[in-house]
Amino acid sequence: MDWEFISNLLLASVRMATPLIFLALAELYSQRAGLVHIGLEGLAAIGSLVGFLVSLITGSPLLGVAAGAAVGILVNMIYAYATINLCAEQIVYGMAINIFAPALASFIYRVYFGAGSELVQVALMRSLAAILGVTPQSFLLKLLLDQPPMVYLAYALVLFTAVYFNRTKSGLNFKAVGEYPKASATLGINVIGVKYAASVICGALAGIGGAYLTTCYATTYTDGNVAGRGFIALAAVIFGRWSAGGVLLACLFFGFCDALQIRLQVGSYGIPYQFFQMIPYIATVVVLALIGMKKAGPKGVGKPYLREER
Amino acid sequence: MDEFLRMEHVSKRFGDFYANRDINLSIRKGEVHTLLGENGAGKSTLMNVLIGLYQPTEGTIYLNGQAVRIDSPAQAVRLGIGMVHQHFMLVEAMTVFENIILGDRNTKGIFINKEARKKEILELAERYGLDVELDKSITEIAVGAQQRVEILKALYRGAELLILDEPSAALTDIEVEGLFKIMRKLTEEGKSIIFISHKMREVLRISDRITILRAGEVVTTLERSQTDGQELANLMIGRELAPSHYGKVEDPGSPVIQLRSVDYHKDSKHAGLNGVSLTVGRGEIVGIAGVDGNGQSQLAQVVTGVLTPDAGEVDMKGSKVAQFTPHGFILESVSHIPEDRNKMGLIGNMSVKDNIVLKSTDSPEFSSARGYHLKKKAIRDYALKMQEKYDIRCTSIEQETRNLSGGNQQKVILARELEGHPDLLVAVHPTRGLDIGATRFVHDTMIEARDKGCGVLLISADFDEILEVSDRIVVMFEGQIMGVFSGKNPPIEEISLAMAGK
Repeated sequence: MDWEFISNLLLASVRMATPLIFLALAELYSQRAGLVHIGLEGLAAIGSLVGFLVSLITGSPLLGVAAGAAVGILVNMIYAYATINLCAEQIVYGMAINIFAPALASFIYRVYFGAGSELVQVALMRSLAAILGVTPQSFLLKLLLDQPPMVYLAYALVLFTAVYFNRTKSGLNFKAVGEYPKASATLGINVIGVKYAASVICGALAGIGGAYLTTCYATTYTDGNVAGRGFIALAAVIFGRWSAGGVLLACLFFGFCDALQIRLQVGSYGIPYQFFQMIPYIATVVVLALIGMKKAGPKGVGKPYLREER
Repeated sequence: MDEFLRMEHVSKRFGDFYANRDINLSIRKGEVHTLLGENGAGKSTLMNVLIGLYQPTEGTIYLNGQAVRIDSPAQAVRLGIGMVHQHFMLVEAMTVFENIILGDRNTKGIFINKEARKKEILELAERYGLDVELDKSITEIAVGAQQRVEILKALYRGAELLILDEPSAALTDIEVEGLFKIMRKLTEEGKSIIFISHKMREVLRISDRITILRAGEVVTTLERSQTDGQELANLMIGRELAPSHYGKVEDPGSPVIQLRSVDYHKDSKHAGLNGVSLTVGRGEIVGIAGVDGNGQSQLAQVVTGVLTPDAGEVDMKGSKVAQFTPHGFILESVSHIPEDRNKMGLIGNMSVKDNIVLKSTDSPEFSSARGYHLKKKAIRDYALKMQEKYDIRCTSIEQETRNLSGGNQQKVILARELEGHPDLLVAVHPTRGLDIGATRFVHDTMIEARDKGCGVLLISADFDEILEVSDRIVVMFEGQIMGVFSGKNPPIEEISLAMAGK
């Protein structure tokens, strides 16, 4: 194992962690408003396809990402309406999104390209270094500059989220809705409004997380390309104890596991590659098993909010 | 004294039912105004109208002489009406400070200016003698302190009128003293307080004026100085007493259950028992009268084996009970109509048929091999028989019990509990929420069981019900027995005094 290996591994970790960060932040906003969302996988899948298509048609990965966000919001409104207005079971609707959205993505892909067509590829989003026209040599410069702009956006969002929930009045009210909606309502906080705002943010970030996969990571869309990241992100929120900073660290850890398995696959012979592929998922299971007992999330999560009726 | 708030002809109707009818109420500046009434008298509904959770069906609310519309809790806050709910509205995961500033609209800016806000809050706290630790989390402070946070929260939002809904229910005596001191301080500063309680002693100590509500209507408003506990108790309960329909038993048979100096959490006045001695004989109905929350629930749970007493003895049919388990008591032929039929009496998602046999699935009549294989046909036939006998109105015996009306739910419970000819029936609020017809059915069934030799312990907050069916009346107050009275020609005055703790 040499320095080259390690530096490449770390660079890859950052890239692999980025979609997880978007997805985990999506989950964080949703849960902070009392909505547990297990449907991120589905939102990311449709975001990924729409991001791919738009970037293919317009030639702009940035527009692809924007379209991914838009479709994420759109699909998440189904979940929002069912769970907020109709007070439906959040787990059931999350699962419904997980079944519906990837199937829709797959369907659109087939309709658009026809069955058995050859693999269509798009250009990826250029890294900041490429945009600036420089070629960084050292590890540190590569780490800081040789990343697509989406990576910087992810970290900026983490910072923003941390400040929002800890320093602002609006963030405090947001958190209160997830903890005790009835108390929030008696203080004049618009509970339904906050829950919808959370759903819009969640849909957008999950869509962006999905679109990242087809605009910054792989050059094409394949069914199942989200590969459980929606669920890993869910684990990252729990692992990160529902705080933005914690979520970031958790995502970097899972991203590292993901990067590691790819490196190991490439560099080893005799062991079936599937074993390495398991690493991120096994890490998730182990981490959740170790910390799972201490549930410390928002108290109002999973419970519908009904205005007092007789 | 100036008037702060006035309600004129306020009514609140749910369907055909008037929860409040033609309420006139005036709250002066700087007074403690008590709302006194039994459960279901309409106190909570009226307060929910005042804080904007309910819209009144009719009537007008005036604030400082001007008519106002209170259409949301936020609007109530803006008008200076704050409420400390019986179950606190505090976010446990946050600090005291965060809870107080939550939802604040008075200050500008996006960020929280901690230093400035804390200074404001501490000034306010000092002025009213509210001792709070701002940086502690809610879970770290005692109930009394949580209540101070709630009061401070209301004051921070500029409350001029504070509604305290049974504020002393969860407090220790010392904490109650502290609360009363704060209440006096608040009224000295010109704030008004609506105090909701049915603890007579506290009401007499702290009130300036007292309004009595009964069955959704205002009975009267009295000055504290011109009334006493007896008058209030009479007004609260008092109504035309219809003579009982049922004959009274004066010499019961041998004791079914006997309690001797039973203690359970005896320092808790409202959820404990303190030296309770009580006998229920065969063929008599003993009615436990008293305002809700004076240990009746605990008594019911001791005599059905749910709770184990801390001290004292319980004899069942002459032999001492060694172990308190519900199953053991069921084997001793004790039946139970629990206080909450949905939570404790029935499995709502199961059918009428299944609920009826729930207690007897081990019997050879309904199963072979002690419950491992159920005899479906026998159960069906039996359930159909019970449906007819107890007049259970359901679409079929397969209907889920949660979809039945309250009266029919209670009939399912009666069918299950009484068919085995129990030796002791413990009935807790058996007719709460039922209409007159269903109530009569429940009473008839209890009398019938009595006449067959069953001992009945009836616990009810409905005084009429107690008078109607009891052969003996036992009054409970703060976990103690205040007196035992004959059910035949009961001395109403004495009983109502005993219920008020005198």
